[in-house]
Amino acid sequence: MKKAAFWTEERRAYLILVFPAVIIYWAVMAFPTIFSFILSLTNYNGGPVFGNPDVKIVGFTHYVRMFNDKYFWISLKNNGLIMAISLFGQIPLGFLFAYVLHRKLIKFGDFFQTIIYLPAVISTIVIGRLWQSFFSPYGPFTEFMRRFNPTWENELFFDPHLAILPVLFVILWMYTGTYLIIFLANLQKIDPALIEAARIDGATEWQVLTKIILPALSGVIVTTAILAISGSLKSFDLLFAMTGGNPARRTSVLALYMYDNAFRGAPKYPLANAISVFMVLLSLILIMVVRITESRFGGRE
Amino acid sequence: MFKRSTVFLLTLLLIASVFVPATFAQERVTITVLNYFDLTSPGAERELQEVWHEFSNRFPHITVLREDLFLEPFHQKTEAYAAANQLPDVIYMWPGGRSTTLHTKRLVKDLRPLLGEDAKYFSEAVLAPQTAGYLAELPNTMTSSHALYVNVGLLQELGLEIPETYEDLVAMVPVLKANGLDTILMGAQDDWVIQSCLFSTIVGRLVGDKKMDEIIAGEAKFTDSEFVGALEFYGRLFADGVLHRKIMNTTYGEVNGLFAAGRAPFMIDGDWKVGNFITDTSTGEALIPVDKQDEFKMIIFPAIPGEINPNSASTVVGTGYGMSANIPAGSAKEAAAWELIKWLQSVEVQKLRLETGGTIPSRIDVTSDQLEPLVNERLGYYALIETGTYVLDSVLAGEVYLPINIGLQEIGLGLATPMEVAERTQEAYDAWKANQ
Repeated sequence: MKKAAFWTEERRAYLILVFPAVIIYWAVMAFPTIFSFILSLTNYNGGPVFGNPDVKIVGFTHYVRMFNDKYFWISLKNNGLIMAISLFGQIPLGFLFAYVLHRKLIKFGDFFQTIIYLPAVISTIVIGRLWQSFFSPYGPFTEFMRRFNPTWENELFFDPHLAILPVLFVILWMYTGTYLIIFLANLQKIDPALIEAARIDGATEWQVLTKIILPALSGVIVTTAILAISGSLKSFDLLFAMTGGNPARRTSVLALYMYDNAFRGAPKYPLANAISVFMVLLSLILIMVVRITESRFGGRE
Repeated sequence: MFKRSTVFLLTLLLIASVFVPATFAQERVTITVLNYFDLTSPGAERELQEVWHEFSNRFPHITVLREDLFLEPFHQKTEAYAAANQLPDVIYMWPGGRSTTLHTKRLVKDLRPLLGEDAKYFSEAVLAPQTAGYLAELPNTMTSSHALYVNVGLLQELGLEIPETYEDLVAMVPVLKANGLDTILMGAQDDWVIQSCLFSTIVGRLVGDKKMDEIIAGEAKFTDSEFVGALEFYGRLFADGVLHRKIMNTTYGEVNGLFAAGRAPFMIDGDWKVGNFITDTSTGEALIPVDKQDEFKMIIFPAIPGEINPNSASTVVGTGYGMSANIPAGSAKEAAAWELIKWLQSVEVQKLRLETGGTIPSRIDVTSDQLEPLVNERLGYYALIETGTYVLDSVLAGEVYLPINIGLQEIGLGLATPMEVAERTQEAYDAWKANQ
């Protein structure tokens, strides 16, 4: 009798509807993550994984090796910089542009919207190659600078502290449009009558922004922050096309560092898996931090 | 009676038409190929038509499913296939270096038994055992990973001559700088380029293969004075202005146009780079037009102070195609795969590669009378090399040469000293050796 009560029609319907999504999630998300963690604890280095007598558990050796490698810390630092430019560059700029366009503070809004969003629809590899050529020591940027100083040498990529700067600039240029569209879509959901009433009551533009719009968008800001964090951690294609992580791995990021260990020279799959597990954990921690911050300080829609 | 015999005859014909062709026809076979192919190279169109389409015409019973990739994507895919143990039937390979996994894990077959009597058509040097001690790929050429390309016309305009010693080269630097030119161009954003195309030759000159054999065997160290001396000399190239740090922000493809446009009188690269400068037959255009090619020469790096191997350059057996070890011996698939590998190193194909890229044939029965001046220059270049020395990434394990590759960039940028790079390489070697 109890069994019959458990399998209600509603519960069965839920399970049937959820089942495909759960299977897909386990197949492409959960299983690879768990399997990656297991591989990171082994000495597996190619060939059959199952039934291979040479594969042994070696504990956290590869994690120790990873933390002792200076190129890991260089990559992590670069990921931090990309995250910073995403969180404190792309999102505020995307919001600012969206606000200006939504409130019609400038003319030709559609034109500017298209111009800002355009980089997001171009292939990342094409963008990487394009900007690599632009910043090349023989490229247009160097030529332009030499108009002001004929002896100027393009040192942008050679100083280990500056080498990442052109990449950060391109990341800012490329992805701001995506956040513009997200904010614009959500701004359009705010009832214009609310803003109009506030203006009639004498609210300034600043007060409209801080008292009505930003609180209403706090959930969206969290979503964009999560997108920015996950996007920053998986940065690969642009850097691969633009710098390949060089010179001397000074523009490498964790995904490139993982790629290097998995596919360049002799493959070191366990180490590569250790790096990917670290990336997943870091991503989870950062997303939790964003969520806690929002729940404490965020407004309510 | 007539009717019955007619029906019998027709039935017989019908049965024959079904079974006879099937009996005598060759078994249809499909083979997969991972091919290394630069679609932007001048000879790409001819290669597609005269190599791959022609093979399909000649062997209609073999269906080739080809995957073309170039540079990093190719190597990444190779490693992914190797890791999954799902190698394509035929795969483009190096005799070591980035194909080390295929060799050492014996993922490809030994081709020597399949080659059999046909070995007599190949130069014996190219059939020497490769990284894992067997013929894993059938090489298309011998290649020098180092050549100093010289724009003689540009040098003459500036009143300069081809340098014979390193000191001659250094003396040119201020003159070139005053004219707004660089001294030597390299497309060294990818970190293998300096090691393969320049440093291997420096090691050959200052360290020598004998000492390198001792280092590889663990009887000597990378921190010994000879190897550190080679790193120090490499560092001097930057201090003397012969090389500029911007080579590390110049891509491998970008440098071709820069050299052809006369941004510097010298360029260092492998001898294979000739293929990028000659005429693209599909467009009739060349980065260096035929009537200008006489102004360009290929030489080896000038004499280095303290060198023990004068006039040497790093050389290695060329690339070629290997066969997956997963193909059953004696199967129709093995026969088809071998037919393709043989075709890819046939007289027709090697002649085409000689004409379109100046690839020196590994066969001894290939000649052509349609060679552009730069291709002839490449053929003549080999006469300048008195001793061929190791290309480091073909004799060292990946774990060992990667610290050298990155270390060379770090020395150039002033981020590491030669001794630091040597120590890191020795550490990597010790770790690698401990796992063997």
